[in-house]
Amino acid sequence: MSRIKLFWLAAVALGLFSCRKNVTDNLDDNETPLYITKQEPSVDFSSYSTYSLADSVAVINNDQLVQRVRTDYDAAFIDAIAAQMESRGFTRVSHSSSPDIGITVSRIYNDYTGIIDYSNYWNDYDGYWGSDYWGYPGYDYYFPPMYGTYTVTDGGVTVDMFDLKNAASNNQLRQLWSGLVRGSGTFDIDKVFAHAKALFDQSPYLEK
Amino acid sequence: MKKLISLTIAVFLSILTSTAQQGELRMTLSLSGASPMGEFKNLVSKTTFRGGDALILYGINDRIGVGLNIGFQDFYEKYPRSIYKLSDGSDISAVLTNSVQTIPLLATTRFNLKPGGFLRPYVSAGVGGAIVMNSQYLGEYPNEDDKFSLALRPGAGIFIPFRKEGEVGINVGVNYNFIAYKQNDVSNLSYLGFTVGIGFPARN
Repeated sequence: MSRIKLFWLAAVALGLFSCRKNVTDNLDDNETPLYITKQEPSVDFSSYSTYSLADSVAVINNDQLVQRVRTDYDAAFIDAIAAQMESRGFTRVSHSSSPDIGITVSRIYNDYTGIIDYSNYWNDYDGYWGSDYWGYPGYDYYFPPMYGTYTVTDGGVTVDMFDLKNAASNNQLRQLWSGLVRGSGTFDIDKVFAHAKALFDQSPYLEK
Repeated sequence: MKKLISLTIAVFLSILTSTAQQGELRMTLSLSGASPMGEFKNLVSKTTFRGGDALILYGINDRIGVGLNIGFQDFYEKYPRSIYKLSDGSDISAVLTNSVQTIPLLATTRFNLKPGGFLRPYVSAGVGGAIVMNSQYLGEYPNEDDKFSLALRPGAGIFIPFRKEGEVGINVGVNYNFIAYKQNDVSNLSYLGFTVGIGFPARN
């Protein structure tokens, strides 16, 4: 087989494998977020009337609470949740006014770390300096193991509702509902209202 | 499945003629499309034109060619945002995208039904395996399932030389692809493939 034909064969093979349609490149901004909600099955939200929203957001990094803050984004998200609750017939009160429902918002970040092994990389190169270059012909190189690491951070925002109305009788703060926003655009301040609306739109039972 | 195997064997046994001359090595490079069939439509229903196919055949005699077929086909379908129920009772709203790539590697036999003519129809049969890369994306998060599975490919087509008695020409073919791939939504992958390419001698 001539080299020209081999070249064409290789070119075609490369072309074929590169014609996969890229999934993430074909997602619009409003198609990337995931909205996950879960309710306590036995809860009847019509029996609750008032709620209180924590005025700051918990920042949780790799399962550790880092701090509670109120950035512009956090304030916007809290306001967006409040707007949705109002639209469902609940009344916002201060947390000292015995609300029926307590609501917290958290930003959660998880780091995923991988390791790249650079050990023995010099063995891959025929042109690496021989030991005779240093005046020690016949000697072997010794390199201690060397690794590189990379870290990818994935984040999301959670909204949690707790039962304050029945806390005393339950002897615990039972979770009533949780919502999670995840994906590109989660932390875009211009999208917080859309995120909150999406969480409530898929929770029609969440109504006074 | 049994019918398919029987069909493949029958095609093998019914070898009649081939475009290949004895000792000649021929190659066919094609662009390919595919239309999912059966349960494969549970993942992707749209016809795709993103694919290619390379076939190299050795002429055992002037009737029969045997060789190797490697291909690539990309299937893709994005579904509008919808709410799905998870096993733990959660509701998830997501844009779901199924992305499936198949790379069949097949031992192939091909026969020409009318050697030497201006239009040279043929039938073919391939058996081997296929790499299946099946990714289901919720938004931008994939769940991936890659497997190597049994693959069968009976087919037919026509070779049209650029000049009378020529050995270089256009090749047009159709084939049925069966891949024994099991996953939650499907018990096998089958699709109707079609190819348009160029056939030529591979050795000077």
